Amino acid sequence: MHILKFRRFSLPESQVTPEALVFGRRQAMALGAGMLAAGPAMAQQAGLPPAMRNTRYVPGRAITAEREVTTYNNFYEFGSHKTISAAAQRMPMRPWTVKVEGMVENPRDYGIEDLLARMPLEERVYRLRCVEAWAMVVPWTGFPLSALLAEVKPLSSARYVVFQTATLPSVMPGLRQSWYPWPYTEGCTLAEAANELSFMVVGAYGKLLPPQNGGPIRFHQPWKYGFKAGKSIVTIRLTDQRPVSFWEKIQSQEYGFWANVNPAVPHPRWSQAQERMLGTGETVPTLLFNGYGEFVADLYTNLQRERLWA
Amino acid sequence: MRLIGLGLLLLAAGLFAIFGGDPLGAVLFRLDPGILNLAQAVVQRYLLPVLWDDVLLPVLEAPSWVVPAIMGGAMTLFGWMRARG
Repeated sequence: MHILKFRRFSLPESQVTPEALVFGRRQAMALGAGMLAAGPAMAQQAGLPPAMRNTRYVPGRAITAEREVTTYNNFYEFGSHKTISAAAQRMPMRPWTVKVEGMVENPRDYGIEDLLARMPLEERVYRLRCVEAWAMVVPWTGFPLSALLAEVKPLSSARYVVFQTATLPSVMPGLRQSWYPWPYTEGCTLAEAANELSFMVVGAYGKLLPPQNGGPIRFHQPWKYGFKAGKSIVTIRLTDQRPVSFWEKIQSQEYGFWANVNPAVPHPRWSQAQERMLGTGETVPTLLFNGYGEFVADLYTNLQRERLWA
Repeated sequence: MRLIGLGLLLLAAGLFAIFGGDPLGAVLFRLDPGILNLAQAVVQRYLLPVLWDDVLLPVLEAPSWVVPAIMGGAMTLFGWMRARG
């Protein structure tokens, strides 16, 4: 009689990783190893000015393959699914103007080329944790938001920074849903905006930021869930009024103002204790503040009554 | 069938009286702001993205009374024709 014995290393066929993903992972690891070996390498390609890597921010994980990051995207103006990258290519990236307005001494309009030329560009490898429990590690090129704030000089009355995404109905099918509170609006406190981690992103993987990832310019605060990061930004406004964000208007119980990453506080419909790494599919524990607590925990010491984690 | 059709026509008249020409999507959003987002996610992520953009979205963009009016009219007509043999 033939007896089948289950061994610890036995796996069903259904759990075998597809060949494409295996090779994609190897390429990603090779890329990550190469970039680490290069140290503060110069990110320079395809129109993006040179930018040194800032090694102060260590992701602690391998860099996600570029192909994964540029083909698995949340950009609600283009749809609710992840394969919006082709549709996003229709978004015109030049000319592009970012208006900085509101409670500042020096309101002004910045052409994107002007920003690229005058802001102190650097590369930072940040983790990104989506509220949907997937994550990635991306070498972003950009500049600290504090550098822009220093130029426009917030008034002492300013308390919040609001980011608005472009509204281009001719190329964004999601805008046909006129009942939603477009434009996509997000915001944070001025203290959060001035934190050293707050980053205006203009590139990724040493190239100009592609439209599906929020090009030509997006925001990123790596200790918050990804939806807090406005993409394809056209307006930055400083105000004394706490903004009500796009998702907060739609589902405030699920997507709040603060949205700091916390594995102990589940989303109403799923756990946030773990995250699935894009590309490898590996599941890893989620970290408080996405692992950036040493940089940002102090921002919230007197805010315990707020819903900091949703 | 005719009864259901007439019910749908009444529903269409009621929606027109209450919401006028507001799109169905806007009416649903007013009733439950999260429901369309959830429906869109299910359709586009687990079925087919174009099903939302090209089929359901045009329906949601139409005035709220249009769908029950068309369905009610068709069912009433069909029921009447069947009754006549």
